[in-house]
Amino acid sequence: MHETSTDDTTDFGYERVRKEEKAGRVREVFDSVASRYDLMNDLMSGGMHRLWKRFTIELSGVRPGQTVLDIAGGTGDLAAKFSQRVGPDGHVILADINAAMLSVGRDRLIDKGALNNISVSQADAQFLPYADNSIDCITIAFGLRNVTDKALALRSMYRILKPGGRLLVLEFSKPTSPLLSQAYDAYSFSALPFMGKLITNDADSYRYLAESIRKHPDQETLLEMVEDAGFVDCRYHNMTGGIVAIHRGVKG
Amino acid sequence: MQHDPAIIAGVTLALETAINETISLSLGTREALAQKCGACIAIYCSSPEVSVYFFVNDSGTVSLQNYSEAEITVSLSGSWRDFQTVAAANDAAGALVNSNISVTGDTAALIEIQQIVSDMDIDWEAPLVASLGHVAGHQLANALRGFWRWRTDSHRRISRQVSEFIIEEGRLSPSKHEIDAFLSDVDDIVLKVDRLESRIKRLQRQLKPASEPS
Repeated sequence: MHETSTDDTTDFGYERVRKEEKAGRVREVFDSVASRYDLMNDLMSGGMHRLWKRFTIELSGVRPGQTVLDIAGGTGDLAAKFSQRVGPDGHVILADINAAMLSVGRDRLIDKGALNNISVSQADAQFLPYADNSIDCITIAFGLRNVTDKALALRSMYRILKPGGRLLVLEFSKPTSPLLSQAYDAYSFSALPFMGKLITNDADSYRYLAESIRKHPDQETLLEMVEDAGFVDCRYHNMTGGIVAIHRGVKG
Repeated sequence: MQHDPAIIAGVTLALETAINETISLSLGTREALAQKCGACIAIYCSSPEVSVYFFVNDSGTVSLQNYSEAEITVSLSGSWRDFQTVAAANDAAGALVNSNISVTGDTAALIEIQQIVSDMDIDWEAPLVASLGHVAGHQLANALRGFWRWRTDSHRRISRQVSEFIIEEGRLSPSKHEIDAFLSDVDDIVLKVDRLESRIKRLQRQLKPASEPS
């Protein structure tokens, strides 16, 4: 089912909250985990998130001189890779709604010496503050499920993409095998909060992570949403048995 | 069958790391590869169905991808078994020509890169010294070099002796010279048969108007 705007509430994990509350609640979650975000990603996914992001970069087809917007870019690992790809004539914008995550990301990029063609911008995915038809490629990795109105965000991305530009949405999705699904559920609802408690002293944030993944649209639904936003040539690739999927759409 | 992109990405990442680590131990190779910056070799394996793209970077390193829309310099298509046969052959170029692998694009670039790779002179001592120290690292490197030289020499000697036994003593197989002479004779016969065939056709044409007046 598509996310609809028939009432003024939305999902926050398994909870229903008022739409204007969600961004603040999500901010609290990421404020809490920002400093250990990458470490937790490595632990939770067993390093797989690096491979998922590697394939995302390959699929982007980004060339030197292009402009890339990495929404919900957090700690900047995708932005750093895109920075090498677009070269000195290109430009990468690392955008995130959360100031704490951006701060960690900017510090990382400075440490890597990768800020010469990267700019950092605090922006809401639903109301992207960039000119129409100005971006060659937009990526949003593990961020769309935290957005209050996903359809609005997709339309906003469509607006700023250049014709022929592409959108890549990397997000948790629905495992294709029932057996894997059961194992994944057991892992998400018991191991994740435990690890969160151990590393960041915050089990609730990681419980939200597991819940928000279950509430996120599955592969086919998200594909329809991307098409509804106006994108053409839309398709998705399942990774790691559908635990993660990458959706691609092109602005016609 | 569609393979999981994450698994392929893991394999290409491991391969890329291993190749670049090896290249970093051979300064000459790195400089030579940098001259080929921008070249892209695509390998399309039909069974299992996997595509791998090798990009040469300006720093002389290599990037591997399993998806690309970039312009391809040269592509090689074949099955895993075909690639395995070529990789295991002593004469890779000869094996490639005689294999079922189809090559499309700028083959000169492929030959140049293959030459750079075969000329690779790896300094194994550097990582050993870095991890074991100057004395132990150098001694271990010397021992490994000695073992490698012995292995290469032994392999060459055994191959030559076995070959001599099969050809000269056992007369189990003709020598290369005899095969060349035989193939040359076959070529001569083929040419002569072709000439004879055209002569017969010419004679038939000359005889036809006389026997069948139109």
